This record gives sequence, structure tokens and C-alpha cells, in this order.
Amino acid sequence: MSVALVRLGLLAALLAAWEIAARAGNPALYVPPSAALPALGALLALRSYPTLPAHFLLTLREVVAAYALAVAAGLAVGFGLGLNRTLGRAYGPILAALYAVPAVVWYPSLMLFFGLDAASKIAFGFLLGFFPITLAVLAGMRQVSAHLVTVARAFGAGPVTVFVKVMLPGMLFTLVGGLRTGLALSVIGVIVGEILGSKAGMGSLITHAYGLLRTADYVALVVVTLALIVGCDGAASLLERRAARWTA
Amino acid sequence: MAPHTPQRSERPGEAEALLDAADLIALEGVGKRYRTASGDVDAVRDVSLRVAEGEFCTIIGPSGCGKSTLLGMLGGLVAPDTGQVLIAGRPVAGPDPRRAATVFQDPGLFPWRSALENIAFGLEIQGVAAARRRAAAHELLGPLGLRAFADKYPRELSGGMRQRVAIGRALAIDAPIILMDEPFGALDEQTRTLMGEWLLDIWRRTGRTVIFVTHSLHEALALSTRVVVMTARPGRIKSVVELPMPYPRAMESPELVTLRAKLWSEIRDESLRAMQP
Amino acid sequence: MSQAGIRWLQLGSVLAMLGVWEVVARAGWVDPLFVPAPSAVLGGFAAIGPAALAGLADTLTKTAIAYALSVLLGVAAGLVLGSLPRVSAALNPFVVALYGIPKILVLPWILLLLGFGTVPAIVYGTLHGFFPILVLVSGAVRDVDRHLLTVARAFGARPWQLYLKVILPAIVPSVLAAMRLGIVFCLLGVLVVEMFAGVRGIGHVLGSLANGFQAAPLFAATALVSAASIAIVLGLDAANERLSRWRG
Repeated sequence: MSVALVRLGLLAALLAAWEIAARAGNPALYVPPSAALPALGALLALRSYPTLPAHFLLTLREVVAAYALAVAAGLAVGFGLGLNRTLGRAYGPILAALYAVPAVVWYPSLMLFFGLDAASKIAFGFLLGFFPITLAVLAGMRQVSAHLVTVARAFGAGPVTVFVKVMLPGMLFTLVGGLRTGLALSVIGVIVGEILGSKAGMGSLITHAYGLLRTADYVALVVVTLALIVGCDGAASLLERRAARWTA
Repeated sequence: MAPHTPQRSERPGEAEALLDAADLIALEGVGKRYRTASGDVDAVRDVSLRVAEGEFCTIIGPSGCGKSTLLGMLGGLVAPDTGQVLIAGRPVAGPDPRRAATVFQDPGLFPWRSALENIAFGLEIQGVAAARRRAAAHELLGPLGLRAFADKYPRELSGGMRQRVAIGRALAIDAPIILMDEPFGALDEQTRTLMGEWLLDIWRRTGRTVIFVTHSLHEALALSTRVVVMTARPGRIKSVVELPMPYPRAMESPELVTLRAKLWSEIRDESLRAMQP
Repeated sequence: MSQAGIRWLQLGSVLAMLGVWEVVARAGWVDPLFVPAPSAVLGGFAAIGPAALAGLADTLTKTAIAYALSVLLGVAAGLVLGSLPRVSAALNPFVVALYGIPKILVLPWILLLLGFGTVPAIVYGTLHGFFPILVLVSGAVRDVDRHLLTVARAFGARPWQLYLKVILPAIVPSVLAAMRLGIVFCLLGVLVVEMFAGVRGIGHVLGSLANGFQAAPLFAATALVSAASIAIVLGLDAANERLSRWRG
């Protein structure tokens, strides 16, 4: 039997088990697939939450802003620390130590500073996305073969040529991996921010449905939010695959 | 084709059914076929060979002639599709460290164990008490030339030292047979020659039976009491040569030079054949 | 630059940053309501000290339980999945999906099921720590050098000896790496629950301080959690180094 069939069977069994278990349980706590689908339909038809598109777009805009800032700052700091040995040795370990702090501890301060609106979510999404991008640039630069750099120099390449022809191709794969992780974390940062405290965005709808025990709507909102997350990651993985083709 | 072994007595009637007491190892018509993506490959076909106790028997042949498969069968790691493998008259059913110990080309040392702990590995698997296996491994350090390196980890040892640790691990379990699969194949020329001399010394002192797989004709001629030449795939025995000369051998003696030329022409033919698509 | 020089540069940079921050705050260029001066943060620590330390102790206790559960369950499940390639192939998409889904989306549902307090924090922390450990450990088991297993079999090792003498020691570095990663995730999970729906713990303290616009104590408490998590991770790193001398 092929693996795909086994997986399909498992999925079907899981859904069936969920359906049976959920029907036996409290409907405020357990939502069977047969109830989740109509709720999803109602959500997408804008019956349960008519303002869904506005919230969805707001979350998307927050993600785009947070990620753009994270990429710009991550690349700048990463290359800055990577190209200057002294800076790298001094501030690299500090960055790594800060990365060991669960980022959510910064969120209350960000919320205090930026308020409950989009700015605090963008700031938190930026913070989460910034670290993996910076660290990927640093890791990628360490990965570049010193021997290849020597060879390029021996053939008369200047610093700019070495950077463009040797360093970038050599580190591209790691860099793109870091960019993808950064996007995933920026998305999570925005949504965590929205759930922990906000007045608008997908996260605020989720806490709203949860607060009113509209559990079926909550499940439907989670599905839509997941679609946003998976969509972002799909875009990033397309980019990653293209990068893999360049480096191969 | 059963090769001639000098110790075998001619007792018609019995010779077919029973093993001669002197034959520690007997391969009888063994064959092995592997399934690969591009179809089945006959690695070994119809190989019969007998090795007496205390021999240093070298198997030589072109790449892919099934030498390692043959060794794997003796070590119980590869099951033959046809024929049978007997050690001391009993068929080999799986790895049995009481009968044979294997040394691989990649020494396969456990990187988290010191040299001493690696040497003691086989004893540990057999459940020998810690103090006893430490003592046994310690005793081997001298002959292995590793006295100063007992507590070093594999990454801290040179290639030659690593292979000596692997040989020590095989010697430690006191198996009567040592199977060596190109043990010096990854070493540089000088280290290789020195390791050969060292191995010869160990073999003569411990009286083990050695089955030695190599690519190197020089190694085969310097070390073995018998050389078995294998054909290109499917691996079969092409010829068997006895080497009664005393050790250490003068490699430039007319006898060895002639033998070398003869064996080289055989191996050359087979290697050329192996290179044909 | 020498290592000592780097240390001085690091120390100097941190002091300089604090100095600039102090000056900027005292000069009134930022609103002290949102960004208090470092000296005010010290005062804030004096004010919040005992409550923050008690909250931190509570949080670390929950984290320790969640961590122990994640490591135990993650290593056990990793060993099973890593040893059974066919089962692992069938389950892989489910594991990837469960690992990849931002846990924040299921947090409301966990709270519906388990209520508020200590238990959901432990469960949610465990959920965060479990998957990265599972994925790292099962990958490590799959990647154990086949040759070493062959060698051990040649020396007569039985299946249980293959685990005890080869697989377990071989995956120690990955388990340690997973444990280092896992602790941050567990702490993150516990903190998120405390912030979202806590009644105790430092996450709850941070959330209430932010809601009460008490910037100085908030910054002090944030610094306290950050220092604690950096200390824990550095401690694990040190233990890691001592246990892995053979890797060089």
C-alpha cells in the first residue's frame, strides 16, 4: 500500500474520530467537522462576521509591514556584523543571547509603547522576524568557503566581485532559509500580538469568538487565519525553491 | 571448483560430505545477487574456498568483484542466496563474535568512546565485567602502539591509529578468525607499509586465521600465505596461489617478482573486463 | 582585536547605550510614561522586586514541569518515529502540520477545555517544547551512521544493545540541542498563557503592569525574565559542551 493511501486513511480516520467524539461532547467545547464546515461557510459568506475582509486585510498589511522592516533591518545588521570582524565578534554573541529570550516577554512593553493598534503588532512581528534573518546572514557568511574566497582573490577579484560572485551564491541557500523562517515568525508575531490584545485583525476576531463561546465560529476563523499563514509560507517556499535552483 | 589446500588428506568417499578437521572455514558454492534500481546484479557466483586454521588468506580482485560480499558472508552480515558458509563445520547464521571478528575499511570507531573504550566494545557487548574488559583492552595497547593514546577520542587520532584501534577491537574478543576488509585502503603509502609489517607481527604472535581483502598486490604478496584472485562481476575465483616463502619477504626476490607479474596480468585482465560496460 | 578587547567593547557598548538612554529620558526627549530612564527602571525593580521574583518562581516551576514532560515525551516519540521509517513516513505530514501550526491559534480552545491557571500553562508549554524535540530527535535517530550499526552487529550486538550502545550515545548531541531549543519554547508557551489568561506568574505580572501603564516596573520585570532565560540557556550550553568533548 502506498504511503499516500495510508496518510489519506489516517486523515479520514482522524476526522471520523473527531466527529464521533465531538458529537458526544459539549458543543461549546467540541466542534465536529460537520458543524465546522457550515460555520466556515457562514464566515466566508460574511454572515457571521461581515467585516471579515477588513480584518483579514489589516492582518495582511501588518504582516507585510513587519516583514519588510525585519528584512531591511535583518540584512543590514547581518551584513554589518558579518563583514566587520570586530563588530561581529562583539555584537554577534549579544544578539544570540537576546535570541535565547522568549520574544513574548517584550510584547507588554511594545504594547505599552505603541498602544493597542496596528503599530504594536507590526513591532512585535518585526522583532520575531528580525532575529532569524540576521542570524541566517551571519551563519551564511560563515559558511562561505574561505578557500573559494582565496581562489577568487588569486584570480584578481576585488572585494565587490568577491562579495557578488563568491559570497552571495555561497550563502544564498541559508539566507533564503532565514528569510522564509523570518516571514513565518513575522506572521506569528502579528497574530500573537492580535490575540494578546487588539481591537482589529484576525486575532481580535478569534478572541471575540472565543470570549462569546462561539466555538464553531472560532474554528472557522482559525481555518481562515491558517489559510493566510500557509499562503505566506507557500510564497516563501516558492522563493526558496527558485534559490535552490540558482545554487544547484 | 575446490581449490587445493595442502593440509587436505585424500580420503575418497568422505571428502565430499565431511570437512577436513584442518579446514576452519569452508565456502561451498556460495552466490549472492543484489537487487538494484537498474536490475539484479550477481555480486558473487559459485565460490568455493577452504581456509585452514592459522592461514593468512588474501582475496584480491578488481573493484566490485564481490570481495566485501564474501567477507560479509563469513562475518554473518550477508546471507548467501546459494551454497553455504561453514566455520568449524557449522553454518554461519548471523554475526558471531566468538568465531569471527571484522575490521572494516572505514574503521567505524564510536566517536563518543575513547580508544580504550572502543577496543573494549566487543567485550562489553558480550557482557564482560567492566574491570576485566578494561584490563584486556589495556593489555592490547602495547602491541597496538597506542599506550599513550588510551584516553583519546577517535577524532584526536591519526588514520593509522584509528585503524589500529579497530584492529584492537577485533583482537580483543579473541575470535579465532579475523576478517579484514581493505583495512589499510584509506591510509597513505608509508603508513600502509608499516601497518602491514605490524599486522604480520601480530598475526604471527597470536596465530589467528586472517582473511584479508585488498586492492594492493604488494600487500597481498608481502603478507599472505595464500592469495585468491577473483574475477570481475560476477565474482568467481579465478586462481589460487600458495606463498610458502618465509617472512619478512624480500619483495625483489626472483620468485616474488615472477609471481607478481603473473598475478598482475590476471588482475589486469579482470580489471579491464570490469571497466567494460 | 583580542578577546579581552572584545569583552571591553561589549561592556562599553552596553554602558554607552544605557548612558544615552538615561540622557535622552532625562532631557525629556521621550515620554517617561512609555520609556523610563534606566535609573527609573532600577527604582521600578525596587518597587516590584518581591512580586516579580515570586511570579518568576511560579513561572519557572510551571516551565520546569512542561520542560520535563516535553523532553520525556519528545525523546521517546522521537526514538519511536526515528526507528520506524515506514510509520514515520506515514505520519510525517501530520507531524509537520502540528509542528507548523502556530500554537497561538489553539490557545483559546485549550483554555476552554482546561480553564485558567497552572494546568493550561503546563499543557501549552509542553505543546511548544514537544514538537521541536520530537523532530530533532527522530531526525537524529534516522541519521545515525549506518556503518556504526553494522560494526556493532558484527560484534554481536542485539537490538537493545544497538539502542543502548550506539543509537542513544549517537543522538546525545541532538538531544542536547533539542533540549536547548525546547527550554525557550516551553518558557514561551507558559508566558503566553500567563499573559493571555494568567492569574499568577511573571507573564501575568508583565501583562498587568503594561495594562496599568507602569513602565518602570514593567521594564524591570522584563529585564528580570530576560536575564533568567539567558542564564538558563547559557547553563544548558555549558552542560552541552561538557557532555560533548568527543565531538571536538
